[in-house]
Amino acid sequence: MSNDILFLAEFVAGTAARSALELATGAAELAGQSGGSAIALAYGPGAAAGAAGLGAHGAVRAIVLGDEDRPAITYAAATVAAVRDTAPLAVLAPATPNGRDLAAALVGTLHVPAFGPVREARVVDGVLETEQSTLQGSVITTARPTDGAPSPSIALVLASTFAPAEGGTASAEVAQAPEAEDSAFGKATIAESHEADAKVVNLEEATIIVAGGRGVGGEEGFAPLHDLAAALGGAVGASRAAADAGWIPYQLQIGQTGKMVKPALYIGAGVSGAIQHRVGMQTAEHVVAINRDPDAPIGEFADLFVVGDLFQIVPALTDEIRRRKGS
Amino acid sequence: MTYLPTADHDELRAVVRQLAQERIAPRAAQIDDAAEFPHDLRELLAQQDLLGTCFEEKHGGTGLDTIAQAILVEEIARADATTSLIPIVQKLGALPIIQAGTDEQKDRYLPRLASGEWLIAFALTEAAAGSDVAANRMRAVRDDDHYVLNGSKRFITHGSLADVLTVFALTDPEAGGRKGMSCFIVETETRGFAAPRVEHKMGIRGSPTAELTFDDVRVPERNRLGAEGDGFRVAMATLDRSRLSIAAQAVGIAQGALDASVSYAAERQQFGQRVADFQGIQWMLADMATQTEAARQLTYAAAARVDSKAADLPYWTSSAKLVAGDTAMRVTTDAVQVLGGYGYITEYPVERMMRDAKITQLYEGTQQIQRLIVARQLLQRAGVAHRGSQ
Amino acid sequence: MKIVVCVKQVPATGADKRYTDDLRLDRSGVEAIINPLDEYAIEQALRLVDDGSVDSVTYLSMGPEQASEALRRALAMGGDEAVLVTDPALAGADEWATAKVLAAALDRLAPDVALMGMASDDARGSLVPGAVAAMRQVPMLSYGAELKVGDGEARVRRLSATGFDWISAPLPLVATVTDQVGEPRYASLKGIMAAKRKPMQTWSLADLDLPADDLAGGALTRVTDTRPPEEKPPTERIENLPPAEAATKIADWLELRKLI
Repeated sequence: MSNDILFLAEFVAGTAARSALELATGAAELAGQSGGSAIALAYGPGAAAGAAGLGAHGAVRAIVLGDEDRPAITYAAATVAAVRDTAPLAVLAPATPNGRDLAAALVGTLHVPAFGPVREARVVDGVLETEQSTLQGSVITTARPTDGAPSPSIALVLASTFAPAEGGTASAEVAQAPEAEDSAFGKATIAESHEADAKVVNLEEATIIVAGGRGVGGEEGFAPLHDLAAALGGAVGASRAAADAGWIPYQLQIGQTGKMVKPALYIGAGVSGAIQHRVGMQTAEHVVAINRDPDAPIGEFADLFVVGDLFQIVPALTDEIRRRKGS
Repeated sequence: MTYLPTADHDELRAVVRQLAQERIAPRAAQIDDAAEFPHDLRELLAQQDLLGTCFEEKHGGTGLDTIAQAILVEEIARADATTSLIPIVQKLGALPIIQAGTDEQKDRYLPRLASGEWLIAFALTEAAAGSDVAANRMRAVRDDDHYVLNGSKRFITHGSLADVLTVFALTDPEAGGRKGMSCFIVETETRGFAAPRVEHKMGIRGSPTAELTFDDVRVPERNRLGAEGDGFRVAMATLDRSRLSIAAQAVGIAQGALDASVSYAAERQQFGQRVADFQGIQWMLADMATQTEAARQLTYAAAARVDSKAADLPYWTSSAKLVAGDTAMRVTTDAVQVLGGYGYITEYPVERMMRDAKITQLYEGTQQIQRLIVARQLLQRAGVAHRGSQ
Repeated sequence: MKIVVCVKQVPATGADKRYTDDLRLDRSGVEAIINPLDEYAIEQALRLVDDGSVDSVTYLSMGPEQASEALRRALAMGGDEAVLVTDPALAGADEWATAKVLAAALDRLAPDVALMGMASDDARGSLVPGAVAAMRQVPMLSYGAELKVGDGEARVRRLSATGFDWISAPLPLVATVTDQVGEPRYASLKGIMAAKRKPMQTWSLADLDLPADDLAGGALTRVTDTRPPEEKPPTERIENLPPAEAATKIADWLELRKLI
């Protein structure tokens, strides 16, 4: 076993996903602790061209698994082969659907320890140590592989656990992936691809989000939220209730089965804060909630809770922000 | 005889409770406020086979025992008293057919009632004949192989919605109400039938309580239930069983009010502590809880006797309805008290529950009538003949 | 076309002390319920039966004897039969062991689609579906908002970064669906009664030819420490202010934190 730290680096539409940059930095940090190297497993459209660039965020080497636009799970065999080949101490995967798919394939094939989703990871005493939030946020558990457990350890890493290092200039050494066996996972294909409306943004990458819930009352009710988001330079999201009711495209649903977001600022208007939604946004750095109901659950974990009518407060806030920004 | 709920009963309760809390409870305030019948919930209950529980499987029902039926009504009433009337009245209206109908009549009507495709109502009460059932005046005059019905009924729950009614009318006015009344199945599409108005009420506001008029309504002979003159007996036998549903409804209303009170008292703070920590409140809650449980257990005991066809059935069902109705009124009134000012406003459900509870002391035999029934049974057991108008 | 839906049983939630103006108190009497996210998988399977593309639905679960209650509830929603794999050696099984057992049971049941729901973030198990697919060497279609089957293949509609894709793979395979499938149906009374008559089998590890030793050895991870989460500063509240004033205060708050 080497002391290297592998990480999944997903490329989407020609550029590295934010998770790839975060895990590059994280892997580099862990590699520093273990005395090994951070090695990227790059896949997706743009991976071949962009793999070297991961060096700027901490990757020493980058193994290109493939460059095609196909479901992430089809890269499972290549991932397994690369992991066997490098025999790392740990593999970091993003706690996203694609990351979980590949991590699951590794666990099923290799029978190795798996952790996740983790909010912190480090190498201690030559093994991976992780921290997870459990029991609906009431307990933080620290975990490690058992003595004598096989390696590598797989960790599903939550977004924004690591902040991408900026300003690096190094280039990662790019290598082709080792020969992979044929695998049933490779048989999945994209039969049809649909792009949503141009104005639908990938919430997972947004740093400011204004979200609407049941209290918004309808599609028209989202108009003031769009204005506020525009004034702040952010994106609009929604709770499950609003998305189910069809008031907003479902790609904008934040929650356990929608988008997991970690913006610097989250403003929830008319969002009650039920657990499903909360899980999707509770790690936002700053949470502001506006709600008519003084007892809404979101008031318990918001940083700032404003009790009042969102249809009066949101436009007033938009005006005030525009005034201060001088626009 | 044992009347402990079984594991099957518990499972049934869990399923209906989930449905009631997720789909019915959130609609309750709006149903009351708009005084609108919840057609969507009627659909939902029909889909979930909850309108067919008193019908046998061969008629498309689920043939549940009476305790199970009581549990289902209780869970729905806990969420909303108005909605609980949908299965209650479906059973009430159908009981005359179930008790006195021929196989042919049952085959003709029960399947569509069990599926919930048709709603049925029970048309007994008249403006001048409430507690005094025998004072009924509606006429049914024989005309060849038909009867012609003339008269009007008052305070008929769902009378304006029903597709079919079980109607009581005098075929032999000379013989008086006790011996001269007959029961008919009347389809409301029949010419001459109308439901000209519904009442504005204190509670169960989403349930239409209608005045019905019959103007030369022709009913075929094959729609008469039992023989001419059987009407009074059929009505009493029906009420002996249907009042058990009211007991269950009352228990549900009380439970709902109790839950709201406990929840509120556990969260509301005054004078630096939770309201629930005041001894006076704890005493109130304990009384509310124990009385509700006692009413529930008496209801189950009565339900068991319905199924075992006990000879003194009326004693049991009247006792249950009497105790449960009075309990519901007391518990809901106390609930408003526990919530204080918040109990009085419509934003919280207990004021509605209190308004809803009152009807359980009035319909399907007032509490005074129930007391007469109980007393009569007591005296009969003691071998003492009773005197009195009934 | 045969689907096996893998369901997990979890303890019922405790009393919800949250009081709303429309009474939301849930004190379910049953001890073990189906994992709520699995209900969406059940609903998806039953919809495929409703539209005629699937002929039979079997439920598979691994757990203690009592898990049969959850399986009866699933059967009450619809479906034809259920299989419970239960064995004392399975107490405390980790994700890998669970996947191994499910894979063995699925090999025996040989469905066209082995369907599962998502696991909640708190619970372990999100890696089970993929691990099962790896062990059985079949394709996996995951995180479907909708599943369709027919013509020797299955397809799922899956959210992408800015839209959605239909991803397909040949049968047999493993599929997982999310709550975007739509509201699970309630069990009707007739469904509950019919469920009692539907066949339920119980299998042990011996029945699956799985030596208990293979699965023993416990989990590969261990918890070394627990602690409460970091103290969060109390929520600041703004109440009873006219909108313009509230807006000013909010903007001040944002500015202080360099968010505008």
